[in-house]
Amino acid sequence: MTNITPGLLMIVAAAFVPYLPHHIRQVFMLIAIGFSAVSLFAGEGVHWIIFVFGQELILHNADNLTLPFGIIFHIAATLNVIYGWHERRPMEHTAGLAYAGAAIAALHAGDLITLFIWWEATAITSVFLILASGTQRANNAAMRYLLVQVASGVMLLAGACLYWKESGTIAFGAMELGSTGTWLIFLAFGIKAAFPFLNGWLQDAYPEATIIGTVMLSSFTTKLAIYAFARGFAGTEYLIWIGAVMTAFPVFFAVIENDLRRVLAYSLNNQLGFMIVAIGIGTELALNGAVAHAFAHILYKALLFMSIGSVMYRVGTAKATELGGLYKSMPLTMIFCIIGAMSISAFPLFSGFTAKAVIMKAVGYEGLIYVYLVLLAASAGVLHHSGIKIPYFTFFSHDSGLRPKEAPFNMIIAMAIASVFCIGIGVMPTQFYQILPYELNYQPYDASHIVGQFQLVIFAMLAFTFLMRFGFYPPEISSTVLNSDWFYRKLAPRIGKPFLLIANKIGVGANAFLIKFTKLFISRISYIYQHPVTGPVTPGPAAIALITLLMCVLLITNIF
Amino acid sequence: MSNLNQRLKKMGNYASVSLVIIGICLIISEFFVHRHGEIKLEDFPVFPVIYGFSASVFIVVVGIGLRYLLMRKEDYYD
Repeated sequence: MTNITPGLLMIVAAAFVPYLPHHIRQVFMLIAIGFSAVSLFAGEGVHWIIFVFGQELILHNADNLTLPFGIIFHIAATLNVIYGWHERRPMEHTAGLAYAGAAIAALHAGDLITLFIWWEATAITSVFLILASGTQRANNAAMRYLLVQVASGVMLLAGACLYWKESGTIAFGAMELGSTGTWLIFLAFGIKAAFPFLNGWLQDAYPEATIIGTVMLSSFTTKLAIYAFARGFAGTEYLIWIGAVMTAFPVFFAVIENDLRRVLAYSLNNQLGFMIVAIGIGTELALNGAVAHAFAHILYKALLFMSIGSVMYRVGTAKATELGGLYKSMPLTMIFCIIGAMSISAFPLFSGFTAKAVIMKAVGYEGLIYVYLVLLAASAGVLHHSGIKIPYFTFFSHDSGLRPKEAPFNMIIAMAIASVFCIGIGVMPTQFYQILPYELNYQPYDASHIVGQFQLVIFAMLAFTFLMRFGFYPPEISSTVLNSDWFYRKLAPRIGKPFLLIANKIGVGANAFLIKFTKLFISRISYIYQHPVTGPVTPGPAAIALITLLMCVLLITNIF
Repeated sequence: MSNLNQRLKKMGNYASVSLVIIGICLIISEFFVHRHGEIKLEDFPVFPVIYGFSASVFIVVVGIGLRYLLMRKEDYYD
């Protein structure tokens, strides 16, 4: 049974989800995830191959890189089921289970075609998590999301075909950038990893999904791309620079964004940058760092999305301008949110610290001083928008007048489990490092590192306090902050509209001409029909048309 | 002013004071712990203190600037 691709069982199980009663359905999903996880024990190697049109498709390939991602994807899927337990509608559960399954199956694809199939499957299943919101706004965002995701898939397919032609193989392994094929694959991955200027879909779509949907989305798509880069393009230097830009620029947007789920989407983007830099370096230490960070990141990011989701579930909004002072009404959610915030801010004893330390060490080791300084500044930025802004504006700041109940029990359980993981990874780095792809003898807890890190985060917090106290901190304003989706939401229509109008005019004109021509043709035929030159009257215009056609055919065959 | 607002203000004051105290302790600890970073620049005395503070201020200042450039009404796309 371990030969079956992990995740496949979850996709099959998802088909039954809509037909099961509420609580049984949730238990059923947990069992499906459990059985799927059994395949992770298959050990390294190729476990399942099928032949299609003479091509070898490797459906189940496992190695030291797939395992940590496989484990964390299963954990995330389990947390999602618990977090969404209260939801009676089956749509998000079905989509969520299939989506997680597709992402897990994609991890185990041994060739580019199999990868493409699951790559698209994650897009198609996840779009329902946005559609489930049921608003026009969400529908539009879902369509934009789908277009971008499918574009990524099509580029991957095109790239895979070209790569096959160039290299004679479709095996998914380390690739060298250079040919069109590899560049297309690189870009396809880049779209899903939310590269700078290809990132608009992330901040556009994630905050429009349902409360559970956003938590599900935050775990899989982008981390699948991180995995794909780690497998395909480790050590590609471009990634270092792209990653450095990625860590820095979303920070500024996050500071001024009002929708807290969108703030988290920006911060997700910035966290991906750290992983991309590490993959660009590509040494064993750096790849360990990327995987460790992805692992820890999925947990604390889900935790943050969960806590804001819980608040949204109770009060109906995630806008900073409408929130505040909830610490007394939702104390547990507040504690979990702060644990997530401290983890993402890399406080010692929390998961972000033990994970990010490996990346920083790798960057420092390579002597990339500027990149190191950018990452360090971005770390302070993360603390700002995710570490302070999220809990501060939700639970403290000022009295919003809202007095909601504490989050539902199932949400609290899910957040508690995620919190335990965040702290567990933080306090037991040695055990955590054992699941990484390569051996790592590193101890993040020495006095020097702890003091340095505390100095960084505490003084970043002091800067926030200082700016807040003296009124320099920008007040929260309900607004839209333009992001790279502006290019296709505003600019493209604006430029495209005149062209479309011209094309439309030409189309209308051509149509009118055709109608005129046809009418003329028919009237001519009618004329001939009613005014026979000689002989008997032909039976009808149809016959005339047929005769004309036949004559044309005879004429043509005679001439040629 | 509501009761909760007063309490939040009080908590804010406590938090600020404790942060300042922790900050001072961290600067003092520099004399007792031989702190060294991953790059040479980081070994400079109280480097993380200066860098953490100034990076944060820089980010907020740029953020305020970005508001003028990129902020639109909430219904901009509708």
